[in-house]
Amino acid sequence: MATKKKGLLKVIILGDTGVGKTSLMNQFVNRKFSGQYKATIGADFLTKEIMVDDRVVTMQIWDTAGQERFQSLGVAFYRGADCCVLVFDVTLPNTFKSLDSWRDEFLVQACPRDPENFPFVVLGNKIDLGNAAVPSKRAERWCQSKNNIPYFETSAKDATNVEQAFQAIAKNALAQESEQDLYNEFPDQIKLTGDSNRFNNNDAGCSC
Amino acid sequence: MEETAGERCEPEIAQEKVEVLEKKNEETVELPSSNDSAIDHEINNLTDELGPNLNLAEHEEEIYWQTAEWKSKKHVFVLSSAGKPIYSRHGNEDDLVALFGVMQAIVSVVLDSDDELQSIHTSNTHFTFLRKGNIYLVSVSSIPLETAPITKLQLTYVYNQILSILTLTQLTRIFDQYNNFDLRRLLSGSERLINNLVDFTETDPAFFFNAVECLPLASSARDVVIQAITSSCQKIKNLLFAILLAGNQLVVLIRMKKYNLLPSDLHLILNLVSSSQSFRTAEGWTPICLPDFDASGYMQAHVSYLTEECQTCLLLLTIDRELFFTLSEAKQKIVEKLQKSNVFEQINESIQKPKILASEFGISRLRHFVYKNKNTNQFVYPKYEVPYLLPESQNSLLHLYSQLYQQVNSSQRPLKVIFQQLKTEAVLGWDTKGFELYLIFEPFVTKSEAINAVNKLLKCMKKEEDRLFISNSATF
Repeated sequence: MATKKKGLLKVIILGDTGVGKTSLMNQFVNRKFSGQYKATIGADFLTKEIMVDDRVVTMQIWDTAGQERFQSLGVAFYRGADCCVLVFDVTLPNTFKSLDSWRDEFLVQACPRDPENFPFVVLGNKIDLGNAAVPSKRAERWCQSKNNIPYFETSAKDATNVEQAFQAIAKNALAQESEQDLYNEFPDQIKLTGDSNRFNNNDAGCSC
Repeated sequence: MEETAGERCEPEIAQEKVEVLEKKNEETVELPSSNDSAIDHEINNLTDELGPNLNLAEHEEEIYWQTAEWKSKKHVFVLSSAGKPIYSRHGNEDDLVALFGVMQAIVSVVLDSDDELQSIHTSNTHFTFLRKGNIYLVSVSSIPLETAPITKLQLTYVYNQILSILTLTQLTRIFDQYNNFDLRRLLSGSERLINNLVDFTETDPAFFFNAVECLPLASSARDVVIQAITSSCQKIKNLLFAILLAGNQLVVLIRMKKYNLLPSDLHLILNLVSSSQSFRTAEGWTPICLPDFDASGYMQAHVSYLTEECQTCLLLLTIDRELFFTLSEAKQKIVEKLQKSNVFEQINESIQKPKILASEFGISRLRHFVYKNKNTNQFVYPKYEVPYLLPESQNSLLHLYSQLYQQVNSSQRPLKVIFQQLKTEAVLGWDTKGFELYLIFEPFVTKSEAINAVNKLLKCMKKEEDRLFISNSATF
């Protein structure tokens, strides 16, 4: 029963420090890139409206701190995410190796209903640098092993694949939303129990 | 906190910090690591969005949520525990999703340390938070007069309105199943109910006194109405309440034995009726949950205006979903019976008659008063007179009353009698077993004058009691 209403998606971006999470987001939202590095503290929030199959979708993007010392937002932060974007730097293999722990961390913290099918997207960033140390094949293999996570090689600097990647992110997340079926149940009617504690229970406060 | 961080840093870094404060959505700045820095950062984020200082980012044109006008407004936000927007009193939630994210982050950071955020105060802005399960409510106000208990109560009302539409059972089930659920999918179309209710909590004394006003009516006339309703509904099972309203005033309330309605639930009913024009033209049959009666499920309400000539609204509340035609018939019978009497004229006369005035009691130096019957939670609130004719002065009178009411009803230190001479008025509050009385005088009234006034007013109230109040005993 998908309504033609606007949608809203909570998207969380995770990955090691310096892989370009904030830059990707800025490229996607503001079409801007800055070579300067500033660490994210806690989290930053950005919004972008996009069209997915004739539907207007607002993406609420939660950009997180990669540096451990700034990760002060715990369990509650991940709760209710619609999609999780895992980012690594194609020139730094260690950032790719971390994806496993980022993914596990997310699943543990967010406890999605169906972890196997939770929509992830993996982005291998900084392909513009031209010295990829993580071959596409290797990244794709990892993604396949995790129930076919879509994989994109991106450049926040020259905007390669950024738009496409976020489109895929929105599509995957929306596919899950349509499964939320709430309309089959009859509304709950109250039952009278003859329970007299409902009677004048405001009087509990005063002595009369 | 910002200053100390800046001082400890290199000059260039301090320079960069200034720049960062001027830019929005780009606050990615090196600060000494500590758990608090993230909270501070988010609070800055939030005050940037809503605080009194106009903080326009250089690349953005005039955006409505960054204008001084927007910042001076009183805001109410509702969000899910995932940080998804549910309601914003002003503006469009879709434009504000980043702000909702910030609010969720602030609440959850405190939650993660097993604590609960109550409020944040800056020199000009007050943020009040209320967490109800998966629903977070936030009030943002620059009004210095706002008091925390009233703001919390206002947020509780907003939460109750949401429950009234969805029930606690449904709300809990949804978020247990899908914590990423966009609740606006189920609330769309109901925003006006919340808007109307928020206005009510700011302007209607019924909210501040936790009471309802009655339409003044001779008790004989009220008895005719009660008789007409009870005799027409006699054989109907599962009928919980029959309520007749004239505007926001109660004409009669008949209840099933053992059950009672609290003012907070009645306010939601008043809100439903006053927000919905459609009941004027057609009978309504609507599910409604009254959270303080039973938050778990719906009652079913038959709602209709009695006749063209007499604009009173009848609500018949039942737990039986199949009862529409029975209640529709009962309503016809009630109208027929009442048409045979002259009650409609009496009701109309009372509706058209100006409200009671404090000055008509001839008590010197008395400006205004409130008399609340504690057993029935009904109250008398005279029409505003000089010097309370302007909306601002009415607001400050309401605020004065709400402070007085809280002092008398304080859970820690309730007062029986209170007399205060303030700058612009003197106030007296008196709490007894059966009633509460609040009087507003000219500032230089003496204590003995005030006490005389109380006695005189009580006599008048006693005399008028049958007309001004409804005894709550009518049952089916």
